[in-house]
Amino acid sequence: MLLRVEDLHKRYGKEEVLKGVSFSLEKGETKVIIGPSGTGKSTLLRCINRLTEPDRGRVWLEDVEITSPKVNINRIRAQIGFVFQDFNLFTHLTALDNVRLGLIRVKGMSKKEATARAMEELARVGLADKANAYPAELSGGQQQRVSIARALAMDPKLILFDEPTSALDPELIGEVLAVMEDLAKSGMTMLVVTHEMGFARTVADEIIFMEKGVIVEQGPPEQIFSSPKQPRTAEFLRRITDLYGGAR
Amino acid sequence: MGEAQLGLPLPPLTLEHWLSVWSYLPTLLQGLSVNLALLGGLLGVGFVLGVIVALLEVYGPRGLRLFAAGYAWVFRSIPEILLLLLMWFGPAQFGLSISPFTAAVLALGLRSSAYQAEIFRGALQAIPTGQTLAARALGFSRLQAIRYVLLPQALRLSLAGWGNEFAVVLKDTTLAYAIGVVEVMRQARYIGSRDFPLTLPAYILVAMLFLVVTYFGLFLLGNVEKRLRIPGLEARR
Amino acid sequence: MALRRVAMAFLILGVVLSGAAAEKFIVGTDASWAPFEWVSAKGQMLGFDLDVMRMIAVLEGYEIEIQDIAFDSIIPAVIAGKVDIGASGFTITAARAEVVDFSSPYWSSDQTVLVRADSGLNIVTALMPGRKVAAQRGTTGAFWVEDNLIAKGVAVELVLYETYPEAIMDLLAGRVDAVVQDQAPSEQAVRQYPGKLIIVGVIKTYEEFGFLVAKGDPKGILPRIERGMKKLKETGAWDNLVAAYFGNPLGVIEAAWEACISILEVGKDPVAYAACLAQKVKELSK
Repeated sequence: MLLRVEDLHKRYGKEEVLKGVSFSLEKGETKVIIGPSGTGKSTLLRCINRLTEPDRGRVWLEDVEITSPKVNINRIRAQIGFVFQDFNLFTHLTALDNVRLGLIRVKGMSKKEATARAMEELARVGLADKANAYPAELSGGQQQRVSIARALAMDPKLILFDEPTSALDPELIGEVLAVMEDLAKSGMTMLVVTHEMGFARTVADEIIFMEKGVIVEQGPPEQIFSSPKQPRTAEFLRRITDLYGGAR
Repeated sequence: MGEAQLGLPLPPLTLEHWLSVWSYLPTLLQGLSVNLALLGGLLGVGFVLGVIVALLEVYGPRGLRLFAAGYAWVFRSIPEILLLLLMWFGPAQFGLSISPFTAAVLALGLRSSAYQAEIFRGALQAIPTGQTLAARALGFSRLQAIRYVLLPQALRLSLAGWGNEFAVVLKDTTLAYAIGVVEVMRQARYIGSRDFPLTLPAYILVAMLFLVVTYFGLFLLGNVEKRLRIPGLEARR
Repeated sequence: MALRRVAMAFLILGVVLSGAAAEKFIVGTDASWAPFEWVSAKGQMLGFDLDVMRMIAVLEGYEIEIQDIAFDSIIPAVIAGKVDIGASGFTITAARAEVVDFSSPYWSSDQTVLVRADSGLNIVTALMPGRKVAAQRGTTGAFWVEDNLIAKGVAVELVLYETYPEAIMDLLAGRVDAVVQDQAPSEQAVRQYPGKLIIVGVIKTYEEFGFLVAKGDPKGILPRIERGMKKLKETGAWDNLVAAYFGNPLGVIEAAWEACISILEVGKDPVAYAACLAQKVKELSK
């Protein structure tokens, strides 16, 4: 088992955002978390690498307990890729430097080695020719692909995607999803929060449906999409199909 | 004091006056070099302390944040001339003897650090939190995130404000004469006190020297700003 | 006997070593008060006070470093230990003597009242109520106006300046009516602006100038200054110095100083230096 999440709780003031979430992820598996906005999906991802500290519950990466106070969290985070909704590329660095910085400063690679590795990943997301462009000179889709390359270059055990296409214009969503699909096929372990049902249906090994801070239902895509067990799942899928025009 | 009054005209300045004050140019330039040395020293002291104070103000724990805010308040409130005298006389109370030049660099540098801290603080706070999150998610420690992501952006954003600070403190260096630093204003007074009629021409010459230095300083900073400019990273106004 | 010889050797060694370590005192002055102290066109600090200091230093075997400070900062600097000797035409006053120690007087001076030549003012009309009377901040001229005019109900308006030349410039510009100042600098100002300024009166204050050191003279400097002054007077060097510095154009004094100073600084001979200076000034004045 690569990732195990056990009974995570998180409260912001009076509102409890996560009310005991447990699931696990095998190596090479892609799981997609769906659910209405504001149900704690992003908080869940951030609690996994402790960008947000959970109030209660435990998380293991292989046999290391991430939530243990003794753990060196920086070392753990270097093994967990994170792709943000707003890309969050370093504004002052070129695409190449964005990908390279973590390799040099966190993994301690030589500049030469890091450059080769970064170019490899930029090529993988189809942006080798944009290596010297600054983020502001790239389209949203390109920026998100660079941020995926940045995560990939660190050679992570797992990548967390936090609504990676939600900030993109519709015509740019496809290129990002294509990169993610390739990744999943290549055996990368991925946990994806998204509203892209088409992607969820075709790429996910398993779908997790969350609502109001709890997991309502999880299972293989065919089962969730065609015969959900919970009425709340069915209700959500009906609404989202109306909203986004169904699978792509 | 009270109502404005029309004074008699001073004895007219002749070409001879201007020529003879011109012959003092090397002396004045030598004085100016002291101002520039002061400027370099105080900007350096101010930069290092300013960055530290700004970082403490923005990212420090509560106690240090308060300390940093207090520091900025103290050094922005006390008049420069008073700071100079305090820095010159103060350490002697503890048996420390520092030269007038060092005292001037420290006093003006501390003051400048308070202003520079405000510039850097504004810039740091203008950086979206996503930048920190992205760095931390990659495994950067807090300090690494500051060192490699936040400071490089903040310093670029600060350049315009910093240019203004440069022009201000350049003029402040003339106050150092009060504690015995022989800089350009002092040199101008020497000229005036040995040759009274040259008082005004000497001051005018010094004023022109400052015009030139400020012009070239800002020109240079403008070039640096241009060279460091990165698309998408501009001071948001 | 052997023991005494060893002790003697140590004593000599000690003297030699202390000589090598070069005892040094910092002299504070406000170098904008010719002819007592000013800065030459070539950037040299000279003047009567400063040459006396240099000559005594040679006679008494110590070094000095001259530091130029705003006049009203010199006494605070001496008190704070930033400066060892104040030599800037300081009038010996009771108030000052409470916070510093003075040498015996080396110069007597009276205050003079300086006005514009075309103003038609005299010693009485220049100091009438309502007149703007200028002086340098912290000087006895300023104190005299406060104590003898304002405090006694003669409501002149006292205007204070950081340096003396600024007061003169404002007098010339008509922004003040009179300047109260020591005699020698006033005469210097009249020489600078021939026909523009006149001295309308001398106020007999019988002021005396002294060099000053920190209260209690912790470094034992005063006895050495006294001894030095005595030697200068006995050898005639003092009179030569007075002849050179007072009543002559600054340019002439500067040229003579340039020509002679090495006799003092390299040759270490104050008497020959003063003779040279007086001689040169005399030659160049012709």
